[in-house]
Amino acid sequence: MHSILAVDDSASMRQMVSFTLKNAGFHVVEAVDGQDAWEKAGLRDFSLVLTDQNMPRMDGISLTKKLRENPKFKSTPILILTTESGDQMKMAGRAAGATGWLVKPFDPAKLIEVIGKVIR
Amino acid sequence: MRIEEPIPDRPHRPLPLLAAARPQDSVQDSLRLATHDLDRLQRLLSDATETLLGHFYGASSQLSQWSRLVATQPALPEHKLHQTLAHLAGAVTALQFQDMASQLIRHTHRRLQHCADQLADDGPARDAGRPGMPAAALPLRNPVAQDEMHAGSVELF
Repeated sequence: MHSILAVDDSASMRQMVSFTLKNAGFHVVEAVDGQDAWEKAGLRDFSLVLTDQNMPRMDGISLTKKLRENPKFKSTPILILTTESGDQMKMAGRAAGATGWLVKPFDPAKLIEVIGKVIR
Repeated sequence: MRIEEPIPDRPHRPLPLLAAARPQDSVQDSLRLATHDLDRLQRLLSDATETLLGHFYGASSQLSQWSRLVATQPALPEHKLHQTLAHLAGAVTALQFQDMASQLIRHTHRRLQHCADQLADDGPARDAGRPGMPAAALPLRNPVAQDEMHAGSVELF
């Protein structure tokens, strides 16, 4: 079973993401911000990281940069799911090593479809 | 299930109870009241989401039971079941309102607090006939551009 690290500082968003991913058959580990995700990423392997951008302590782009520096996450798909839709922010995400940029709110079927495309 | 969305770090200041003596005090009070109202709105949103999620999980659980029954009782209207599941998927999208609303509230909160702080800084200087403090830069880029709950775009790099 694929394991996904879902990162968002909003409790309701974490619940919606987890609900959607678990219904699709994924194992989900939740993190409350980038720092929490970074700590949890060191404890086990994940098939995909799905992260929010604007979070306290560490944002999604900083988390992406840190994960990409770790050989364990060099080729792990990292999707940024955020309210941010500006081109400048998207370019920063891409430069950090993100695999894709999803603008909130997400449609459950579309999210699962995108994850299916990028997950190994 | 309790959902707690923290209010951004901000010292809680008591709201003035007496009538304002100067015009800028009145504006300052209004801004602080608006900030107080936003705090209240945040709590209302959290409460609404908690209720919505409770109903959502209840409906989802029932549907799962029906879904298992369909396998043994084909007479059950399966298409109706799929329609209901599609509605639930729509609810998952709509239920993300709290995150966006919370970000908007935090943004407005900071802007209002900035106005109040600016007025507080300018007031004494204006009274003394001196120019006020130069306006501090507002590090405010609104993180939420959406004004409706339609699903957002997807871009793979």
